[in-house]
Amino acid sequence: MTSSPGFSAQTLSVLAALCDEPSQWQHGYALAKQTGLKSGTLYPILIRLADRGLVEACWQDEPEPGRPRRHLYRLTVAGLASATGALASAARPAATKAARTPAVRGAVVGVVP
Amino acid sequence: MNRLNRAAAAARRAAAWLLPAGRREWIAAIWAEAHEVPPGLARLAWRAGGAWVLAREALMPRRLGRAALFAAAAGSAAWAAWPQPTVGHAAVSQFHVIATVLLLAGLPLLAWRFFGPATPSRAGRSLRFFSCAAILALMPAFAIVEAFANLTPKQPAYRRIFCIAQGWSSIQGCGAVPGRSTGGPPWAGEIALLLMTIAYLGVILFLTSRRSQVTRGTLAIGTGTGLLFGVVMFAVAPLGLTNDATDPWLPGSTADPLVALAWILLFGGPAAAAVLAAWRGRGPGGAALPRNVRIGQGIAAGVLANGTAAMFTTALGTGTIALMLRSEWLLRWLNHGHQLTAIAAYRYETTASSGANVYLFMLIWFPVIGLLMSALGAACNPARPARAKGTDPGPRHAR
Repeated sequence: MTSSPGFSAQTLSVLAALCDEPSQWQHGYALAKQTGLKSGTLYPILIRLADRGLVEACWQDEPEPGRPRRHLYRLTVAGLASATGALASAARPAATKAARTPAVRGAVVGVVP
Repeated sequence: MNRLNRAAAAARRAAAWLLPAGRREWIAAIWAEAHEVPPGLARLAWRAGGAWVLAREALMPRRLGRAALFAAAAGSAAWAAWPQPTVGHAAVSQFHVIATVLLLAGLPLLAWRFFGPATPSRAGRSLRFFSCAAILALMPAFAIVEAFANLTPKQPAYRRIFCIAQGWSSIQGCGAVPGRSTGGPPWAGEIALLLMTIAYLGVILFLTSRRSQVTRGTLAIGTGTGLLFGVVMFAVAPLGLTNDATDPWLPGSTADPLVALAWILLFGGPAAAAVLAAWRGRGPGGAALPRNVRIGQGIAAGVLANGTAAMFTTALGTGTIALMLRSEWLLRWLNHGHQLTAIAAYRYETTASSGANVYLFMLIWFPVIGLLMSALGAACNPARPARAKGTDPGPRHAR
């Protein structure tokens, strides 16, 4: 299932989603919709990426009325460099064999020049 | 439905308590995000995913494996250490067994809760594992030695040796009932032993946790120095501790080179470990660490060195005495292969089992000496110049 050294296909899809607008904070549900991952898969990935210093997380400053504060995520500088490298290396075999998941294929097409 | 929701929220909060602080906010994040998911099955699936993450983080399969291993080891040690009905101090010994197992099971959970996960270091993980193993192994070893040391022999000739070992000058004043136990450790002694266990385990769990910020290098230096000192100390005194070497294979003199080496390591080991740990420590990017951080690393290395040595020697020494009381072969080997008479063997065993108590003093004083010597060593240590950018990144930090 590993598509790139150190990252699974699901992790690559999360990295690709975060790479879309690296400076923008993103919500968990938006990432789940973008990657097609369930919460039980998405959050362990975000936790490991945060543990490795590739993703930073914070709580929303001003929540919408009647809603709890949301947790926000974006890539760190190291995370952006690592994600770009990993997606680029995933693109090489993907170009010949085609990526296994739609999210990775989209990520490779969208991120790697 | 409201009641069900409240019950689910309470269960989630209770389960989240098992997680370290850094993980709990992730679970809260999943629950907060559930409000954005369309109500119905999709939201239920989202929350089920959150429950799965919670269960996975709290009870990872590796943790379950470790828990099963601990349960098996603790059960075996408790079974071996459980006092026989004939023992005169059964209640104290039963309390010791139960309290030690509860401490070993509970303290790591509390440490995880308050100090965070263990540092990702092989030396740190090994230190935690072997500390627990040593404390578990000491339970049956102490029980065997205590039971032997307190059992009054039936024959008068043996009883005379027993009474002298108990500190009486003659068999008349001794007052021990033949074939019965004279008692065991008092409650105060038992509480003191438990407090010492808590102190050892607590310090080790803290120093090997992420919050302590003790580097991998410091852990390796402290543990390595402690193991070296422990091996030398055990070689010098495998059967308790006296002014002279108690190793029957040594000449039995304080002038023996191995005894001299043990003295040097007792004071010089923590100081050297502190100097090395303080000198070697670097911040991110190879920057020199502030002086107080370097001193902290040095003291951690010194305390670890002497604490590890004391624990290693006590576990092996008490274990050797306990095995000797059960194995004739070991008793003969320790006496250079000579066949001992029954009374000579009893005298030898009584002396050794009395000497085991002295390991407790070692457990108290060695870390204190380590603390003092490492504070001196670390305070005298000059700063290592910062490494130029772009060169070797230096030792990796625990965090």
